[in-house]
Amino acid sequence: MKLLVKYNRVNIITTVIVLLLSGLAYYFTIRYVLIGQLDDDLKVEEQEIVDYVSKNGKLPDPSSYKDQQVSYEEVNGLPVKRKFSSNKAFSKDEGEEITSRQIVFPIIVAGKNFTVVISKSEEATEDLIQLILSLTLAIVVLLLTVLFIFNRFMLNKLWRPFNTTLTELKQFNLSSNRTLRLEQTNVNEFSDLNEAVSVMSNRVNQDYHTLKTFTENASHEMQTPLAIINSKLDVLIQDEAVTESQMKQLQGIYDALDRLSNLNASLLLLTKIENKQFTERTPIQLDELVKQKLAMFEELTESKKLHLSIAAEPVTIEYDPHLTDILVSNLLNNAIRYTEAEGEINVSIKNSILSVSNTSMIPRLEKEMVFQRFYRHSATNPDGNGLGLSIVKQICDLGGYAVDYEYKDGQHCFSVRFKSTGI
Amino acid sequence: MKILIIEDEKELSESIATYLKSEDYLCETASDFKTAINKTETFDYDCILLDITLPDGNGLEILNNLKANNKMDGVLIISAKNALDDKVTALKSGADDYLAKPFHLSELSARIAAIIRRKNFEGSNIVKFNDISIDTQAKQVSVNGKPFDLTKKEYELLLYFVTNKRRVISKNAIAEHLWGDDMSGNNDFIYTHIKNLRKKLFTTNGSDYIRSVYGMGYKFTDA
Repeated sequence: MKLLVKYNRVNIITTVIVLLLSGLAYYFTIRYVLIGQLDDDLKVEEQEIVDYVSKNGKLPDPSSYKDQQVSYEEVNGLPVKRKFSSNKAFSKDEGEEITSRQIVFPIIVAGKNFTVVISKSEEATEDLIQLILSLTLAIVVLLLTVLFIFNRFMLNKLWRPFNTTLTELKQFNLSSNRTLRLEQTNVNEFSDLNEAVSVMSNRVNQDYHTLKTFTENASHEMQTPLAIINSKLDVLIQDEAVTESQMKQLQGIYDALDRLSNLNASLLLLTKIENKQFTERTPIQLDELVKQKLAMFEELTESKKLHLSIAAEPVTIEYDPHLTDILVSNLLNNAIRYTEAEGEINVSIKNSILSVSNTSMIPRLEKEMVFQRFYRHSATNPDGNGLGLSIVKQICDLGGYAVDYEYKDGQHCFSVRFKSTGI
Repeated sequence: MKILIIEDEKELSESIATYLKSEDYLCETASDFKTAINKTETFDYDCILLDITLPDGNGLEILNNLKANNKMDGVLIISAKNALDDKVTALKSGADDYLAKPFHLSELSARIAAIIRRKNFEGSNIVKFNDISIDTQAKQVSVNGKPFDLTKKEYELLLYFVTNKRRVISKNAIAEHLWGDDMSGNNDFIYTHIKNLRKKLFTTNGSDYIRSVYGMGYKFTDA
């Protein structure tokens, strides 16, 4: 639930309850006060009648005005008790039931007990109360409307810095190296939040940058010692005195050195792709490139007696030529490497999708893992460096191409959805 | 042929010098920027191996200095930064070639030979080994004056062998030279190419120059 909705709900319910309660309180207070006033009026009337009786020794004439009736009744039994009450009675004048306030009190005139009833219409009071209630109700409605409008416009405006910060955070991407654009605000909570967020993002960016620089530097620094080992070996094998068994040891060193050099070069390449150091965009005839690469790998495919089939529609893409080269190379190399002897490789380009599928001894790979660095299925030889497919993924990510892995009909299928330039 | 090796890693420049000396190159070394500038300004070299990252300066400045003084020395950049833009900058500044570390000395030697051939004003694009003569411009080979038919890979292999003659070249170096990085780790089938080349040479002039060295590499030699 949105904070705004939640806040509104609580706010409105509380407001309505408070207003209704205060409405009720008003009603009762005002009613009490007005009835008290009526009762005072009735007491004045009573006093007048008592005064009249003690002066004249008889009851005044019963009178009936629009809002006040006085009537007497002789009682034979006990005299009534003095009391105030509100009664409802049908009025012929008004044509409806009206409430009136009356006082009943005993009086003795010439030794006889009389009951005097003075009643006054409560209509004026009722009208006043009704007016007050309508006013209260109107205030409630007005308040709710105002609150609604306020929430709708004012709160949205108030929360805008927060929402901006949130949007910026959602778009935060380490590799884009963009600083957050946060809104200036004089609301303390939001400016505190913004400050914390920008401090955090700066630190994260800085750490990430340091890490990237470290990786790149480490890879660079490793090249020179690798070059020294390589050159020493190249000189060493010239020595006629080296025996066959020593040569075997040296071959082992060469092979390990090759792997290390490869690994280092791949790591460096990954770092460079991440650092967006490949910005060239040239039109590339993808189908031609694939055919060219396959021709290059011909010796490999022939030596493994692989059955190769290719169905390529002409398609032109626009991307960095070096990266595209590596992308295609890695996909094909990967397929050739993991296909068993006399296995099958199918390459196709259709609707700008390049897919390379191959049979293999290796069972289905885990889709989530397959593009991860150094992921290698346990059944494979450790001669690859485990970075080929991560490089493919990285290159595709940079170009905004979708790359996918599928296992279907006993074939591993890698596909890249390029964006055709439509040429 | 005089070669200057500008490289701050003494161990590396030592190995390079040792390897190149056996090719009858005269090698000098400079391990810092100042020495390098002094030497390049004073002497002429057929080829200069230039490491871009020196402790007291940028190797590219040496290159610019050479060009400013209208020096014709061939320049081969060796760099630990295998960066494309680095390569482009170096070649634009007038370097003849670019080789990323780590490299095989046989590869380095072949690149130097190519630069010297190109720089050579006597118009000699012909590389000779006994009765074999390779025209590097036309990419054609003749044995005893007669044309000798080779596939592209066999031609590359023969040229590589001849520029590294009488020295052991590891299989790894051959594979990298012929196929580049794309197929590293697959040096088993260089054997096929070597076998074919060997057979062609043998049937043409009866000489067997290619010798296997304990299964670790090959040596092209008449001795």
